[in-house]
Amino acid sequence: MKKIMIDPITRLEGHGKIAIFLNDDGGVANVYFQVPELRGFEKFSEGRPAEDMPQITQRICGVCPEAHHMASTKALDALFHVEPTSTAKKLRELLYSAFYVTDHTTHFYILAAPDFVMGPDAPPAERNILGVIAKVGLELGGAVIRTRHENHWVIQTIGGRPIHPCFGLPGGVSKAINEEERAKIEEIAKSSVEFGKLSLKVFDDVVLKNKEYLDMVLSDTFTHRTYYMGLVDENNKVNFYDGKVRVVDPDGKEFVKYAPRDYVEHVAEHVEPWTYLKFPYLKKVGWKGFVDGKDSGVYRCTPQSRLNAADGMATPLAQEEYEKMYSTLGGKPAHYTLATHWARLIELLYAAERMVELVRDPEITSPDIRTIPTATPDEGIGIVEAPRGTLTHHYITDERGIIKKCNLIVGTTNNHAAISMSIKKAAVDLIKPGKEITEGLLNRIEMAWRPYDLCLACATHSLPGQAPLEVTIYDAQGNELKKLSQGIS
Amino acid sequence: MKTLVLGMGNPILSDDGVGIKVAHEVANQFNSPQVTVAETSAAGLRLLDSIVGYDQVIIIDAIQTREGKAGQIYRMKPEDFSFAKHLSSPHQINLVTALELGKTLNLVMPQEITIFAVEAKDVSNFSERCTPEVERAIPEAVKMVLEELKCQTSS
Repeated sequence: MKKIMIDPITRLEGHGKIAIFLNDDGGVANVYFQVPELRGFEKFSEGRPAEDMPQITQRICGVCPEAHHMASTKALDALFHVEPTSTAKKLRELLYSAFYVTDHTTHFYILAAPDFVMGPDAPPAERNILGVIAKVGLELGGAVIRTRHENHWVIQTIGGRPIHPCFGLPGGVSKAINEEERAKIEEIAKSSVEFGKLSLKVFDDVVLKNKEYLDMVLSDTFTHRTYYMGLVDENNKVNFYDGKVRVVDPDGKEFVKYAPRDYVEHVAEHVEPWTYLKFPYLKKVGWKGFVDGKDSGVYRCTPQSRLNAADGMATPLAQEEYEKMYSTLGGKPAHYTLATHWARLIELLYAAERMVELVRDPEITSPDIRTIPTATPDEGIGIVEAPRGTLTHHYITDERGIIKKCNLIVGTTNNHAAISMSIKKAAVDLIKPGKEITEGLLNRIEMAWRPYDLCLACATHSLPGQAPLEVTIYDAQGNELKKLSQGIS
Repeated sequence: MKTLVLGMGNPILSDDGVGIKVAHEVANQFNSPQVTVAETSAAGLRLLDSIVGYDQVIIIDAIQTREGKAGQIYRMKPEDFSFAKHLSSPHQINLVTALELGKTLNLVMPQEITIFAVEAKDVSNFSERCTPEVERAIPEAVKMVLEELKCQTSS
């Protein structure tokens, strides 16, 4: 066969782009961060039966299909005015907790750990999971793969299908679990708790015991004082699946707590001419630009934000770690973006502990898994915490349940303004007049947005299987000075 | 000999779903207890989960190359992407790193991986249909996969 030279660029126009504009002195004047946006989903969904939405919306993104499935299913509960049975809610939360274990594990070990285990200035060829395993040991690598594999089995067993669950229905779920399955899930949950503890120990050994890293976590380069958002339960504890949306101000004081159906009163979306992706902000504070502080409506919803917005964790081991984190960071709320990696591991432990609680609940194997909806559908809003931020699905239908309007605010979009600010701050601190701009700069800038676990949804699976990113630096006259890129040849 | 035919992509994102469409057609035309046909929208570690335990894997996916013509089909090996392993990924690990990881951890990894990549035109607009150029390439891609399967299963 003829040999063909392949030059994959994945998304020619759609890859992540960071444009850095310098001023006359050679310092940073402005930074623009653009992510690819997929087009036409609203139109695509119009005219379809609402019941199809949990299947369709989970296809939007190859990274967190389970989160879309769950937000969509909850929007259907609201749309059809039906309350799911107690067992159905618990099965949904059990699956969702298993998903959190897999997703947070992936982020920490694949994305975050290489920076700290290998060091932020290590050559890119070593700064990856293979380098981490070579340094930390094969045993840990095996535990990462095993934990993910086992929890995917849980998702498949409860959700009916690997990767794309098909169990969410308005009023409940499509299938119950039996005792044999329950017992196996309990074993997996217990081993996930151990894995969560181990991961926090790795963080402690690698990051917290290294003064240089801890100083970096606490440095102003990676700090922003913003509002924080997250779902909380009736005791104001972190919850991923259900509850009210709570927002705290930069001093940690509750700013608002609202039911999902009221989100439009609290969140508005700012538009900029240089990107299609919108910038959500707190309506009652207002859009003041890309700035932090109490007068700016910019908010964040990340693992760190969820912990800031809550009064604690609902499970004992995660609560202990929560207290330890805030005592190390000097109190609540913590504004240190890099500490998000720590918060993510505390959430991982919480998710595993919550799995144990749910799977031991006597109701979990009950066949009472669905309330049949009887009301006429009209409008429904569903909110869950996706691993990368609060995820909102909002549908309006006709009386037959046919979609007339659909609006989604996805996890990464919530953090869009904050991500832009974090990149700018890192760039301002790193690019100085007369200082050479190197590959290391790219990684430091990456480190500013990596904690957000941002989802360049469309760029995650297509060959060669990595999201392309390009950083271009322009001088004060707009001439291109330097281009750094990855995943783009 | 256990073989996996894996269609990759997003079935509601225009040409992005071409791999899944090809895999569906392969499943309609080829039936063997040794061959599993599956689809996935996942990358990185999830891809690793999908291929562990198979002897041979045939992946079908969309690709965009600089000088590519929509509908063009390439037959490749993972080594063709080896240049990419020196790049870190903002969200997941790439195929080559996933394969190396599997080997490092002593997982049962396929001995042979073949990739059929179809040059895509539109990967940003939601649609269940591919563009006409890519749609027209599907029968040829199916033929290539079937020939590969016949070669592999008879060897």
